Amino acid sequence: MTCAEFQKVLPYIIEGGGSDEEQHHLETCPVCSDLVADLRYIAECAKLLVPMEDPSPRVWNGIQKALDREGLAKPARRNF
Amino acid sequence: MTTAKKTLANGISEHEAIQRAQRGDAESFEALYGLHKRRVYSLCLRMTGNTAEAEDLTQEAFLQLYRKIATFRGESAFSTWLHRLAVNVVLMHLRKKGLPEVSLEETMEPQQEDGPKKDLGTRDNVLAGSIDRVNLERAVESLPPGYRIIFVLHDVEGYEHNEIAEMLGCSIGNSKSQLHKARMKLRDLLRQSRAEKAANRR
Repeated sequence: MTCAEFQKVLPYIIEGGGSDEEQHHLETCPVCSDLVADLRYIAECAKLLVPMEDPSPRVWNGIQKALDREGLAKPARRNF
Repeated sequence: MTTAKKTLANGISEHEAIQRAQRGDAESFEALYGLHKRRVYSLCLRMTGNTAEAEDLTQEAFLQLYRKIATFRGESAFSTWLHRLAVNVVLMHLRKKGLPEVSLEETMEPQQEDGPKKDLGTRDNVLAGSIDRVNLERAVESLPPGYRIIFVLHDVEGYEHNEIAEMLGCSIGNSKSQLHKARMKLRDLLRQSRAEKAANRR
């Protein structure tokens, strides 16, 4: 199997599966194994992108105005 | 953390806040907003790459939440239900803008730019250990919209290809192909960034 043939099917096997021939190519080809290592590493790093920012206060202000305009919001219940 | 265990700033559980919000209680809805705003905003920002758009879409997502919260039955986690709602709001916005989400002409045949690499016979340093959050964020922002959406939905937000295919109206094969292209593009951007840093150090 050539690198070109392997890279053609890579999108469909990178998360698992693949024929014995494809697996063998991955195990024996340093260029393709480096490529797969990079792509998997990128996918892993994506999990680090945890939400870090809050929206500005104008977002909540906009929501409140819209709810008031539509007459949707009811006064808060007070359990005293 | 399950819905029942989350305690909001006003001392009630998320579960109780949802029930009260379903009855129209504004304070409970505000508490739910406080709990979920960051994740919804982050999703909108990553998918659009634009702060103002992301804020508008966050607002719209929560307004839709208020209108639809009575339909939440608890079959999934509330955060999951809200997340899907937000994704749909963003996708509708992108469709109205006419942005290509996924190429519907995508076939199993790779495009020219994704063909065999000319450097097939050479190796370069792998990326492992060299990516930091800032660089990755910048690289994701640089992605073309169609690639960015798939990458955010799959690798960042954890949706499966069958779910993405249903959301975007494409095939599972298209979703996988576009994700691969997104990751390949990110690889190029991150390697470029690393090379520039190395050159600046000299």
